[in-house]
Amino acid sequence: MDNLTLHKIRKDYGKVRAVEGVDLTFAHGELTALLGPSGCGKTTLLRMVAGLEDPSAGKITLGARDLTHMAAHKRKFGMVFQSFALFPHLNVRENVCYALTIAGMAKAQAHEKAAKLLDLVQLSSFADRSIGALSGGQRQRVAIARALAQEPEVFLLDEPMSALDANLREAMQVELRMLQQRLGITTIVVTHDQREAMTMADNIVVMSNGAVEQSGPPQDIYHKPRNAFVADFIGRANFFDGVVAGGKIISGGLSLEAGGVQYVDGSAVTVAIRPEQPMLAERIPAQNEVPAEVTFVRDVGATRDIHLSTALGPLIVEYALGEHARTFRVGDKITAQLPAGALYVFPAEQRRKSA
Amino acid sequence: MSSIEADILRDTPDATVPKRGRVRPAQLVLWALVLALCVVPFLLVVVISFGEKVEGAAWVFGFTGENYLRFFVGASWPETSTTLYLNRLYYSVYYAVIASLVAVLTAFPFTYFMTRMSRAAQSRWLVFLLATLSLSEVFIVMGWDILLSNRSGLPMVLREIGVTDWLKGNGGFDLLREWGMANPRDIKFKTSEFATVLTMSYLVWPYAVILLYPALSRLDQSTVEAARTMGAGPWRVVQTVVLPTVRLPLIGTLFLLFVFLLGTYVSVTVFAEPAKQTLAISVYESVRGSTLNAPFGAAQSVILLVTGGLCLWLGQVLVNKQEARA
Repeated sequence: MDNLTLHKIRKDYGKVRAVEGVDLTFAHGELTALLGPSGCGKTTLLRMVAGLEDPSAGKITLGARDLTHMAAHKRKFGMVFQSFALFPHLNVRENVCYALTIAGMAKAQAHEKAAKLLDLVQLSSFADRSIGALSGGQRQRVAIARALAQEPEVFLLDEPMSALDANLREAMQVELRMLQQRLGITTIVVTHDQREAMTMADNIVVMSNGAVEQSGPPQDIYHKPRNAFVADFIGRANFFDGVVAGGKIISGGLSLEAGGVQYVDGSAVTVAIRPEQPMLAERIPAQNEVPAEVTFVRDVGATRDIHLSTALGPLIVEYALGEHARTFRVGDKITAQLPAGALYVFPAEQRRKSA
Repeated sequence: MSSIEADILRDTPDATVPKRGRVRPAQLVLWALVLALCVVPFLLVVVISFGEKVEGAAWVFGFTGENYLRFFVGASWPETSTTLYLNRLYYSVYYAVIASLVAVLTAFPFTYFMTRMSRAAQSRWLVFLLATLSLSEVFIVMGWDILLSNRSGLPMVLREIGVTDWLKGNGGFDLLREWGMANPRDIKFKTSEFATVLTMSYLVWPYAVILLYPALSRLDQSTVEAARTMGAGPWRVVQTVVLPTVRLPLIGTLFLLFVFLLGTYVSVTVFAEPAKQTLAISVYESVRGSTLNAPFGAAQSVILLVTGGLCLWLGQVLVNKQEARA
């Protein structure tokens, strides 16, 4: 079982560099999400893997095979496009059979295989329907079945959920993940939705400005962001600026402990903390106490967002609602505790660059 | 609702609901224009086609089938018969079919690649093509007449660069002679079927591009890419995705150009040899030319029109059959 590897991949469009120096390995059978804001190069990278774009430099290999300049029709990686790209002149079955027909498979055999695939995506009864008569979710399933028909070694999906409404998107994320796990196929999904990436992927590759910012399992990306961009892009984060002095962070006249600060004294830093990390309960060991005033309270289902004004700047704290939950009112004077281990410290210029 | 309210409501005209049967003056004018400009001239042609020529004079209204009979068997039937006009009808259809096919087959790849260019480049090409439409048929034929003339055109160039001698040496020249594209000494394009079809194709080529452009520019490029990722090479993609997707505009363009080319006059007059001229020439000769036989000219026009309609119908039947088979 071969891993797909990208070695120092670069892509230039004239003077514009879309992708720069990407080194990645996609382990066999794993689902990897390429995540990043619009224009970060994730779709370009996927298209290079598919063979729809030629890299300006670098190498793409699948096991020992060099695919770098192999034409898309010779790679035969199954791909689901953002628009699904179903053929309007063919019905559902014919769409699914397309790759098989191209490969020269007998009609009866192709139909048999298409029936199995349509069963897999729960569309057996829609085989004779025209594409125009399908809903968005059904079209997506047809696109998936069609891409899987040729039994690709690598399965590529370019923002497959973007055309679906919120409810359907959630359901399809689960279905797609289950299907991928059942088939054990190496899968790469491009998305700009971090929630989608977190819920579906074994690994996430966060990209920005054509480069990989961080890659790893979703929990690592969330809890150990390598830089301010990742901390900002994955989940929510509060940011404040400070200066390192004696292993502590000085900000807003407060001296804060931050686990393992590796900066020389006088370094300007940006500190990030997830909204669920600060503690507002009263009976806790005092650490990094920050006096605050409640400026706004917003219920968001199981949690409540408490907006605070502090000497560090504005903070949002995600407060879990429960039986003994405190009630906060605008104007309340409280103290927020910022656990030292929950503070992520980055060089200040990094945040400015990613902003 | 009181009876007074009901009466008021009944008597108040409802502006939002158009009353059936009421015809507005503007509509009447429009219908009259359509009738006067489109239907009446056509009906007149049909009526005249049944008229009779008066020797030494013009013609008179009547109801005779002689003009149609003459078309199929000649004027001196039953003593003798001729297929002269049927032959001309054949060449009308033949040139129109071949030239429209050539135009569409060459315009299709051009338009496809044009739609893949940048928006600015596409605009430049479209403006250029639209500008060429301002050239009249006479002007275009004059240009080709010079380009293909034996003394100063392509035959002269081929002779000067040695291609003619090279063809004479390898037997290609004899083949050209068989095709009517060479005289005993030199390559010639005037007169030839090749030159006739070439000029006719050139005449409608910009129309072909302009008619194909909307469909091809709307073609979802991701379907082409999807086909590529599923193992289809470039030609298979065109065959299985591009052509079926734009099938209707493609057939429509072909039919439109065919109808347009059925009546081509100048190109055929200049480039077709006398034995291979078309019905359009014959119609003109009858109506305005030496014979001055308007009823016979009208009969030929009607037959040309009906033939065009039949060809379109036949084309549609063939397309439908092919679709049903697929």
